[in-house]
Amino acid sequence: MAIMYLMGLLLIVLVLLDLRLGSIRISLGDMLGHLFGQETLNEQQWVILSKFRLPRLATALLAGAALPVCGLQMQTLFRNPLAGPYVLGISSGASFGAALVVLGAGATGIAATWSLALAAWLGAATVMLLLLFVSYRIKDVMTILILGIMFSSGLAAVISIMQYFSQASALKSFVIWSMGSLGNVTGSQLLIMTWTVTPMLLITLAYSKVLNGLMLGEEYAASMGIRIQRTRIIIFATTSILAGTITAFCGPIGFIGIAVPHMARFLFNRADHRILMPATMLTGMVVMVISDIISQLPGTERILPINAVTSLIGIPVVIWLVVMNRKAQSI
Amino acid sequence: MDKAGRDHIVSLENFSIGHQKEQVLLSDLNLRVDSGEMVALIGRNGTGKSTLLRTMIGLLPSLGGTCLLNGKAIKEYDLPARARMASFVSSQARELPSLSVGEMVALGRLPYTGWMGRLSEADHARVDEALEEVQMSPFKHRKLDRLSDGERQRAMIARAFVQDTDLMVLDEPTAFLDIPNTFDLIRLLSRFRDAGKSIVYSTHDLESAMQCADKMWIIHDAKIYEGAPEDLGLSGLFDELFSSSDIRYEEQNRKFMFKGEGKGSVRLLGKEDRTRLWTENALDRLGYSVHEKGETKIEIQKSGSSIEWILQKEGETANFTSLYKLARFLIQGK
Repeated sequence: MAIMYLMGLLLIVLVLLDLRLGSIRISLGDMLGHLFGQETLNEQQWVILSKFRLPRLATALLAGAALPVCGLQMQTLFRNPLAGPYVLGISSGASFGAALVVLGAGATGIAATWSLALAAWLGAATVMLLLLFVSYRIKDVMTILILGIMFSSGLAAVISIMQYFSQASALKSFVIWSMGSLGNVTGSQLLIMTWTVTPMLLITLAYSKVLNGLMLGEEYAASMGIRIQRTRIIIFATTSILAGTITAFCGPIGFIGIAVPHMARFLFNRADHRILMPATMLTGMVVMVISDIISQLPGTERILPINAVTSLIGIPVVIWLVVMNRKAQSI
Repeated sequence: MDKAGRDHIVSLENFSIGHQKEQVLLSDLNLRVDSGEMVALIGRNGTGKSTLLRTMIGLLPSLGGTCLLNGKAIKEYDLPARARMASFVSSQARELPSLSVGEMVALGRLPYTGWMGRLSEADHARVDEALEEVQMSPFKHRKLDRLSDGERQRAMIARAFVQDTDLMVLDEPTAFLDIPNTFDLIRLLSRFRDAGKSIVYSTHDLESAMQCADKMWIIHDAKIYEGAPEDLGLSGLFDELFSSSDIRYEEQNRKFMFKGEGKGSVRLLGKEDRTRLWTENALDRLGYSVHEKGETKIEIQKSGSSIEWILQKEGETANFTSLYKLARFLIQGK
């Protein structure tokens, strides 16, 4: 697959470009030199690189791989090209958790970062458990989809009430969280994120065969020997943990989850999940690093909220999908 | 093995199906499918055809009794083993994934592949063979949504075929098909049967089922009648089956006719040839019977390649150059 190598190469180039970017210039040669044990970077450059740019890059790569994988799983399970990682209400659950901490308890500042992430993660996990319970009782996967959307809307309504009654400073922290950021994940947080996201991604890769079986619907899948109940639990659990973790640490990051699987389908022209799953991860990482580069507005001192950038990249793809693409058949 | 020494592929014992305990559709079913046998399941809408087929192979829970597949209760199979025993084709033509025919058919090998789903050379050969079998080889790389209904259904059947099961269960496989496609498909299933597979399929098309099935299961009044098509015909079941509707079964012609009220009788003059046969068909359709003492007289006159029908009724005479015009006259009286 030439395209796979091409995308890999593109990712490496983008990663180096992203690392170079910022108010302090660090040349590629110096970076590589340092990598090979030479003292080509000064103290300040090394701190900037290791404490800021590398963690942000790692966060971008993890989020870029994780969210589209959630989207792909949801699109295949619900056989709906417009499903994304957040359709089950996972993002709303995370937002609700974050809102409780920031708006309810009024926690702000650095100390709040941890409790915020934890609350967001708990919110996402609660919604997930609720959905697992529902999916055990309800056989029809479309009903679950509708319930997820209802959870989402319900939680959004509660959050807007909380926002209405909250202090201006708390409101500001919450709004900033909801704009998303790749730069707040450092040290132990990054470690937790890595150790949560990576195993989940490996599980999704191992479930590629099962996802292929699901493409003809759950009934055919069952007739071909796939354990539907267990598969649903695995798909919901991995999706919730991936999307919940990313949202907890980075805030909601829109449209990457819906749009990237379609980009991967288009670029790789394959529907086989054994190809499509890694292809989606790779494409997601490329798109996320591009978004990160754009969000830093090269040549300026300003940084755009990442959620806005990814949405502006993702929305045209979804519009193209709806308007140009053959009806709603392209999962 | 039963006393006659034949294998039962499927054996239902006091089997009950339905959606919940309160909604039993059919109960205490005792039915058999032998190996190399084609069974047609007939019944009106809502009588439980689809539910029976799905429950039989474990896609829906049963409400009681047992279903033995090859002598072993369906509940005791683990899922991949069950998938190597029974395959399924549904009638639903819902949104199709953007898979090619070849990719979709290859999914039928899922129960045989390892956890990564890698297909061996033999698996690929099997897919090609199945596509050949259903005459879909030229379409291997075409996307599913670019197929006609008949082609899509044949591809779905190829997928079930590569699943290599003793039993194939098909829910209304001919539902969206025209007559040639319907017969092609039934003939295809007959070939599988001749190769030793057992086939159970549901259909509304009693006529094609009468011609090909070894056995029929007919759902009537919440019971299933089992037997060779002719056994069931002999028992008078077909007339009973449609007694509440406007259809009757014509035993000699082996087809269903509208009952239609008698419109009158016709005395038909003309040679015993195709023209007369088709004229009789037309009269039959309009509800006229043909006999010696008919009140209306129709004479067929042929000169060269042109045919004329001359109708005489109550002293009036009218000439027609086609059966259509004759029919319009009989219906409208002008």
